[in-house]
Amino acid sequence: MTAIENAVPAVSDRLSRWTLLIFACALVNFLLGQALIVAGVTWPEVAFTAGSTLAAVHLITLGWLTLLMFGALFQFVPVITTKPLLNQWLSLAVLILVEFGLTGMTVGFLALNRGASGLARCLPFGGTLVLAGVLLAMGNIVTPLLCSRPLALPGRFVLAGLAFLLATVLLGFTFALALSVPAFTPLAAPLLASGVGYHVLAGLGGWFTLTAMGVSYKLLPMFMLAPEERGWWGECVLQFGISGFGLSVIAGLLSVWRPQAVLLNAVQHLGWLAIAVAVMAYLIDVLRLYRTRKRARIELHNRAACGAFLSLAAALVIAVVLVASHRLAAYAPALVLLVLFGWLSGLGLTQLYKIVPFLTWITRYGHQLGRDAVPRVQDLVDEARTSPWFVIYFLGVALAALGAFINVAYVCRTGAAVSAGATLGLGFEYWRAWRGHYAGRTRPATPIPPPYLSRGGPAP
Amino acid sequence: MTTPEPLTLDIREELRRGGEPLPHIMETVRQLAPGQALRLLATFEPLPLYAVLGRKGFGHQATHHNVEDWEVLFTPGTAVPEQPKGKKPHTTTVSTGDWPAPSAFLDNRGLEPPEPMVRILDSLEHLGHGEVLEAINEREPVFLYPELEARGAAIHTDKRDDGVHLLIRRGA
Ligand code: HEM
Repeated sequence: MTAIENAVPAVSDRLSRWTLLIFACALVNFLLGQALIVAGVTWPEVAFTAGSTLAAVHLITLGWLTLLMFGALFQFVPVITTKPLLNQWLSLAVLILVEFGLTGMTVGFLALNRGASGLARCLPFGGTLVLAGVLLAMGNIVTPLLCSRPLALPGRFVLAGLAFLLATVLLGFTFALALSVPAFTPLAAPLLASGVGYHVLAGLGGWFTLTAMGVSYKLLPMFMLAPEERGWWGECVLQFGISGFGLSVIAGLLSVWRPQAVLLNAVQHLGWLAIAVAVMAYLIDVLRLYRTRKRARIELHNRAACGAFLSLAAALVIAVVLVASHRLAAYAPALVLLVLFGWLSGLGLTQLYKIVPFLTWITRYGHQLGRDAVPRVQDLVDEARTSPWFVIYFLGVALAALGAFINVAYVCRTGAAVSAGATLGLGFEYWRAWRGHYAGRTRPATPIPPPYLSRGGPAP
Repeated sequence: MTTPEPLTLDIREELRRGGEPLPHIMETVRQLAPGQALRLLATFEPLPLYAVLGRKGFGHQATHHNVEDWEVLFTPGTAVPEQPKGKKPHTTTVSTGDWPAPSAFLDNRGLEPPEPMVRILDSLEHLGHGEVLEAINEREPVFLYPELEARGAAIHTDKRDDGVHLLIRRGA
């Protein structure tokens, strides 16, 4: 029998055809969001709830991070589960819906700045398109996840993350209706008045952070050759993470209508505690991962990822201090900035530096392997050239966060400008990897037979 | 009915000389009496043999006497499908019954992706048609599957505690 049966889907099912395009669009959205901040039309120059701030925030959360996650999941869920996506074309449909929806939302948010005009209607309209895109993406990703049993740890993180994504988008959609359709305002007014924090927590925590943890549990061991089985630690991160974000979001939302309920308040605090435990356990586990790796020298993307883990650790410490001293509300925007730019975007940018060359390489050279001399994945990038950009990026984020916490707007903006510049620099390096800019030198043709090939039996 | 004494084969000298013991081992296995076990003395744990002889129905029991001194007892009729604790075996169902014994072996553990895939495809091109390559990988080579399929090769995957054991047969 020469056919490969079962469990081995066809060629086209292995590689996500649209992932690189999705990444490119996501990066453009990130740069647009950063441009708004650098231009000074967003917080900290204007209110955190101003329309222009919201436009920048959603360009970054939906346009950059959510699309980035989708692109990565379209590629990696089939790898985790060895099951194909529902449909490759759905991935393209998701990209189109989210991009158009986001454009509508951005127009709507900017219109809010000038008082609710007719254009503000674009907000719920765009939100509808985004919701449709998110539902399609979920169907595409959940199908292989549910077909795979038992589901490995990364997959369980992703499933949980997707549930929070749906909650986030539905909440945002409700806000959008309340803000732009007068008939809805009375109904959703209490939610808009005191529920935004839970939209943020569900999005940045439940969706991004849980999913990023899951994906990192696959990606980090894969390229560092560390044990993939996370045992008790991984389980602890997952369980505390889900219950932490779940309890705090649900109890928080209920307390919108029952602000005095002692029980809800207690549950919410319990949720926060669980989040802190989950994040701490994750950071310790990541440290264990780096320590138990078999590769002595790790590549740039995993060295630079330490900037993201440090940002997460800093955010955890700061959040604990703020909650303990009852100052969370005042500093929440600064904390959001640190989480968005340091932890989430930081992890995204660093891992892209591996995923882009890897996908490029396998798409372009996979079929030539063993037949022609092809460049190695490492030949597609120039780490020495790129590493300064990562350093500059994280320094910029640190400066921006500092400015945000000490409330000095121009420091914050300067930091944002520095990290935006570094993002642009990194964007060029991804582009060069994709274009094969550095791949000029190919490795010598394989000697015959390859030196590592031992005929007849294992080499002693 | 009495079981015959195990037949002992010492391949340590041959291994130290850098020889190729597999044909010798397979020849010895063919000479075993019905029910007779094979006692193999080797300088390392002969992991690839477990798969090869396992498919012939041999179970194995390894004893590590010393650094370069392994004794493995292959007993016919005792092969149990490998079931690492807590993990379900994940095997792509390709019947390998009519495959020839592997004629080449690769240990890809400790290599970062995509190097295992590169080595396997490189090596495969150096095999004759229908020949089998055996490899042990750190993890399941998901990106390899479509390439193998495109080349008309077949793969048998077996996840074990010490790595993912692969048998790959070059297409005709
Ligand atoms: C992954 C998805 C999303 C994430 C992570 C996210 C994140 C955020 C964040 C961090 C804020 C606070 C920003 C600020 O106050 O300046 C916010 C507010 C808001 N979001 Fe989202 N968002 C998401 C999706 C959506 C969607 C789909 C809509 C629907 C159109 C939406 C509508 C809103 C609205 C209207 C506000 C402002 C509420 C107010 O007036 O304070 N969001 N979102």
